[in-house]
Amino acid sequence: MTAQAPAPGDQPILFVRDVHKHFGGIQAAAGVDLEVGRGEIAGLIGPNGSGKSTLFNLVAGMETPDRGQILFDGHEIGGKKAYTIARLGLARTFQIPALFENMTVSGNLLAAAAEGHWHGAQQRADETLALLHLEPVANNRASDLSGGQQKLLEFGRVIMRQASLILLDEVTAGVHPNIRKIILEAIARLREQGTSFFVIEHDMEMVRNVCDRIIVMDSGRVVTSGAFEDIVQNSEVMQTYLGRPQ
Amino acid sequence: MAQTMKNRWAGLLLLVGILVVLALLPVLVNNYWLRVATGALMWAGLACSWNMLGGYAGYINFGHSAFFGIGAYATAILMGADFAVPFLATIPIGMIVTALFAVVIGAPTLRLRGAYFAIATWAFAEVLMQFATVVDFTGGTGGIGLPPFLNERFFYFAMFAAAVLTYFLTWLLFERSRFGLKVKALRDHEPAAEAMGINTSLVKLQTFVLSAVVASVFGSIFAYWVTFINPKSVFGGDITDQMVVMVLLGGLGSLWGPAIGGVALFFVNRLIWMYYGDTAFYIAILGAAIILVVLFLPNGIAGLFARRSGKSGSVLDTVLGRLLGSRQGGRS
Repeated sequence: MTAQAPAPGDQPILFVRDVHKHFGGIQAAAGVDLEVGRGEIAGLIGPNGSGKSTLFNLVAGMETPDRGQILFDGHEIGGKKAYTIARLGLARTFQIPALFENMTVSGNLLAAAAEGHWHGAQQRADETLALLHLEPVANNRASDLSGGQQKLLEFGRVIMRQASLILLDEVTAGVHPNIRKIILEAIARLREQGTSFFVIEHDMEMVRNVCDRIIVMDSGRVVTSGAFEDIVQNSEVMQTYLGRPQ
Repeated sequence: MAQTMKNRWAGLLLLVGILVVLALLPVLVNNYWLRVATGALMWAGLACSWNMLGGYAGYINFGHSAFFGIGAYATAILMGADFAVPFLATIPIGMIVTALFAVVIGAPTLRLRGAYFAIATWAFAEVLMQFATVVDFTGGTGGIGLPPFLNERFFYFAMFAAAVLTYFLTWLLFERSRFGLKVKALRDHEPAAEAMGINTSLVKLQTFVLSAVVASVFGSIFAYWVTFINPKSVFGGDITDQMVVMVLLGGLGSLWGPAIGGVALFFVNRLIWMYYGDTAFYIAILGAAIILVVLFLPNGIAGLFARRSGKSGSVLDTVLGRLLGSRQGGRS
C-alpha cells in the first residue's frame, strides 16, 4: 500500500496510513491503513488484542506511532500531544469511563469545555444534561453515578467538546437498554449536525443500526472493510473475528 | 434550591462574623493570645498554599517548606545591613525568586507521578536546607537576624491580610474559575483531562508556582516577625509535615479544610506547650490525626459540614491512590 495522502478537496476527516506501533515484542499496530469520511459513522470491530484500542490511543495522542501517517482534518497528528489533538476537534471516550470522579456531573461537563469551548458552556451543559437525561443527578458526584450513567456522562463530555470527530470506545457496553437508546439518539442528533464518529463496538446490533461502514482489524492490521451486510456475508471474518459461523 | 440559598446566606454570615471578630481581635485579647492568633493565621495560610497543589491538583509536595524558607531568607537577607531594603519591598522580591525556583524545580519534577514526585520535592527541600547551612550569605548554621520590630499588632494584621488574600485567591481560582476546573480534572484523571484539550503540564506548573509563591509570602512575614531564622527553622521537613496533616485533618481539596485543620492543630500545639512546656507530645497528636482521618474522616472535618448526596469516594482516596500507585485513574 502506498502512503499517499488524499487531495485537499476530498480529504476524509481521519486518514491513517501504514501506522506501526510495538510494545516490547508485541506488534500492536502493524501497518494500519484506514479512513473515516466526513459525516460518516465508521465501526471498528475485531477480536480482543487485535489493536483497536491501540489505534484509538495512537489517533488520540495517548501513544506515539513508531512510524506511519495520521491525518486528522488535514493536520498531521501522529505523535502530537493529546491536548493538541483535542483542540483540533477530536474527542474520545475510554473503554472504562474516565470521569473526574470527585467533581459533580455538571462540573465534569464544564471541565470538558474549559479549554477552548468556554463561551456559552453553562448553557450547553444544561442542554447536554437534558439531552442525556442527567438533570436529576446534575449536582451529584460523578463517582456516585451508576455504571450506565457514567457512560452517559462520559458521552456528555465529548458532546461538550463540540468535536468534528468523536472516537467512542464501547460506549454502550453493559448499559441498560434505556441508556443505550439515549446514547444512540444523541449520536444520531450529532451526526445530523455534521459530526463524524469512529466507533469500537462488540455489540453487533449497535454496529448494524448505527454504522455506515465496518472496519475489521486483526493482529494490528485492517483485514477488510465495507457495509455491515457485506461483512456478515464474509464467513471467514464472522468465524475468525466474531466467533460466529455464517 | 431554597435550602441551598439559605445555607449560602448562613455561610456568608458566618464568614463575615469570623472576619469581624478577627479584625477586632487585637482589642479583645492580650499580646500572648494575639501572638497565638498570628501563628494560627500563618498556618491556615500555609496549609491553604499546600492544598492548592496537594488537594486541588492531587500532587503531594513533601518539600513545600522550601518555598516558605526562600521567602524567609529573601526578606532576612534583603533587610540586612548590606541591602537595607524595606520589609514590604522584600515580599515581592521573595515571591519572584520563589517563582523562579518553582519553575526550575517544577518543570522536571511535575513529570513524575505519585510517590516519585513526593520524593523529588522532599529531596529538593533537603538540598536547599543543606545549601543554606553551608553558604555564607545565609549565615550558615548560625542563622541570620533581622532588625527587630516589636509590634504584635503589625504582624497580626500582616498575617491576617495575607491569609485573607490567600483564601480569596483560592476561592476565585480554584472554586469559581475554569482554571480550577482544569486543575481538579487533572487530579481526578490526567489522561482524560488531556483528552479534553487541557495542557496538564502547564496547569500543574502554574498551580505549583502559585502555591510556592503564596508560601514565600508567609515566609517573609514570619522571618520579620520572629527576627531570627536558621535553615532548620524555615526549611525543616516538620514544617511541611504539619501543613500536610493540617490539610488532611481539615479536608483535602476543600476550600476551608486547611483553615480548620491549621487553626485547630496550631491551637493544640500551643496548649500542649502551655501545659507541658514542650511540644514533643504534639508529634503524637499529628500521628493520631492522620489515623483519625484515614479511618473515619476521609473528607476531613470540613466534610462533616458538606452536603453529600452520594456514598462513594473522596479526594483522599484519589490522591492516596495516585501516591501509592494503586489506582488506574490519572496515573498513566
